[in-house]
Amino acid sequence: MIALARAELLKLRSTRTALGLFIVILVVTLVPLVLILALVPKDWLGEEGITQFLTTASALVPLVLLVFGILGMTNEYRHGTITYSYLVTPRRWQVMVVKLVVYLLVGMVTMLVAMALVYVAILIGGAIRGVDIDATGGSTLGDYARQLVVAGLVTTFGVALGALIRAQIITVAGTLIWALFVENIIYVLKPAVGNWLPFVVFNQVSAAQMSGDGMEALTESALTRPEAFLVSIAYIAIVSVAAVFISLRRDVT
Amino acid sequence: MSVIKAEHLTKRFGKKVLAVDDVSFAIEEGTITGVLGPNGAGKTTTLRIILDLVRPSSGSVTILGHRYRELRAPAARVGALLDSSGFHPGRSGRNALRVIAAGAGIPDARVDETLEMVELEGAAKRAVKGYSTGMKQRLALAASLLGDPEVLILDEPANGLDPEGMLWLRTFLRKLASEGRTVLVSSHVLAEVEQTVDDILIMSKGQLLAQGPIRELTASTQPVVRVRSPQAEKLEAALVSSGAAVNRLNDALAVRGPSAAEVGDVAHAQGVALHELLTEQPSLEELFLQIAGTRREQ
Repeated sequence: MIALARAELLKLRSTRTALGLFIVILVVTLVPLVLILALVPKDWLGEEGITQFLTTASALVPLVLLVFGILGMTNEYRHGTITYSYLVTPRRWQVMVVKLVVYLLVGMVTMLVAMALVYVAILIGGAIRGVDIDATGGSTLGDYARQLVVAGLVTTFGVALGALIRAQIITVAGTLIWALFVENIIYVLKPAVGNWLPFVVFNQVSAAQMSGDGMEALTESALTRPEAFLVSIAYIAIVSVAAVFISLRRDVT
Repeated sequence: MSVIKAEHLTKRFGKKVLAVDDVSFAIEEGTITGVLGPNGAGKTTTLRIILDLVRPSSGSVTILGHRYRELRAPAARVGALLDSSGFHPGRSGRNALRVIAAGAGIPDARVDETLEMVELEGAAKRAVKGYSTGMKQRLALAASLLGDPEVLILDEPANGLDPEGMLWLRTFLRKLASEGRTVLVSSHVLAEVEQTVDDILIMSKGQLLAQGPIRELTASTQPVVRVRSPQAEKLEAALVSSGAAVNRLNDALAVRGPSAAEVGDVAHAQGVALHELLTEQPSLEELFLQIAGTRREQ
């Protein structure tokens, strides 16, 4: 298992996919942050709403990690490298389990780096503008921990989806459309149903912004955080078990 | 001892495609065995079943006495080249092998050794997408050798190789066999492996048509009379009407059934001039045609 984990990490280090992921994360987190820090009037920067907004700059990272997870698995089929993975480790469940775990950890570490970048950028930006900004935005250690866990889970979710569907473009496009549009539409129209959908549930675990002003109507039927966490784990477990099961039965032609 | 033993292997893809049809064979230790047949014969599916990549619909196969998935450290016992496209194009050749080696617990030093064996050390740091087809084949061959395995399963290893590469491959396979390894190699170009293999399995349309040592099989088949004539069409018609089986090979006819003397008599009776008349043992290609033809007649 350790050898397999080493191979997975080497796969990540030896292509430009991981570098591309890092660049995209830099762009989605730092660019809006820098623009706000640079352009918003100095008097507003210390206000609570702006501070909270700044500290959620890493909110898009799980979406990038979701795509990263999908690519991590679908690339194996696209380039045929899955053949060597199964030749070296014919017990396929081991290949899948190690991949899911490695991507869980990579997702969490990436999120940690993104959060650290945001923290440092706010400190530096505040210092340059001469404003004392709370770089945590009032977030507790628990808030950070939940974000890390969700980032890992979403990355794993991407891997499992990739194993189930295999077709890269269909999986990436379909998942993004589902996460960004379909779930949001259902969530707004039928909150009682929407609150149980996977990406809404992931948000309920991690995002403080879900409980802000004006969200009462939508969050009335929302799950509590522990409930949302359990449902998230259930989603990951179901999709991962299905992915392992399908991988065991699938012919590699 | 049989290194690979397949019993009644059958593989269906969906309801309509019968890729492998009740195939049984045994591969002996230290031999080079060719799995021969045209495209779509079921060669690749058979090899993938041996390696547990494709599950048979029925039947069973063991390699070194076990199912592939039950082998401990399989990369150290069985090496496989299945196609040259199993590498991420953005990864360097060396890193592509390092990934496989890491999964098998093989040190990086062995990666460099195998790259040297296939003469790719100079291109080791280049991305695979910049490799020619022949280079990718060599890289795949290096991947199969990473664990220094006792059994090698190679699917169409000569695909994309130029004549120089083919010669290199033949020499390389012979060297591997001389080290006591068992090699199972498939090809749809029969002439390509004729000079390399000891035993053959001939497949067509999912069925195993014949198996055995190449010399025995060719000796057991009818010799072919090769005849060249400026009036080949007239001679062909006369031979066919006399009951002979005739194949056209460029400007010559390959005749099975009558002896050279009988062919000469038919030509004489028809007043057909002959430029060449000789008896030869059939090539693998001709052997395949004979066996496949016999099966069709049955």
